[in-house]
Amino acid sequence: MTTPSVDFRALLERLRDDGIDFIVVGGVSAVLHGAPIVTFDLDIVPSRSPPNLDRLHSALLELEAIFRDPAARKLTPTRSDLAGMGHLLLRTSLGPLDVLCSVAEGRTHESLLPKSTIMDLGGGLSARVVDLDELIALKRAAGREKDRAALPLLERTLEETRKRREG
Amino acid sequence: MSDHAPLLTAVEGDSGAYAEDGTDLTLIHWMLDMTPGERLDVLTSGARSLLSLRRDDALR
Repeated sequence: MTTPSVDFRALLERLRDDGIDFIVVGGVSAVLHGAPIVTFDLDIVPSRSPPNLDRLHSALLELEAIFRDPAARKLTPTRSDLAGMGHLLLRTSLGPLDVLCSVAEGRTHESLLPKSTIMDLGGGLSARVVDLDELIALKRAAGREKDRAALPLLERTLEETRKRREG
Repeated sequence: MSDHAPLLTAVEGDSGAYAEDGTDLTLIHWMLDMTPGERLDVLTSGARSLLSLRRDDALR
């Protein structure tokens, strides 16, 4: 039995190298802002421009992406899947990747752009990451139990970050 | 036991270790002391470690 691969840095580098426009949301974005949690998947909201979705689709094929299908079927994401507004929960050669075509209350890449920041992740890697206060708003808007459960930790992380900034 | 008692007393008291809702602020401070890149690498390392432990447990 082999341990499944998880390499968030390599996955982000791969998406960057393929010229894909996306915003990191979800657990990885929370960690990048300083929330002490563990997650196993990278959640991204891609730009919905057709050339970007073409690039993303090609990258997914090269990453051997398949849906994390409860029935264990090996279903490959199609280009038309990416054009929808749903969530593509995928397994790739570099770890689980969730492609969220839209998030809570229909927010898309374009609407999240002003509420995101490019973060320097070291080693020549940078990525656009949703702001922590917006991530909290997304979790509130989603309203699911698992999102509500994450709120206290995210809110305390935001508070502590602001205290540090205010010095 | 005696080595641990002062530490336990400190975190259980009004030390600022926990927020009112029980959130462990020491872990948040630990993370905030890192750069975003270091946080990413700690996350990857932690996720891999947990998956490895799960695999080892499944092999028993």
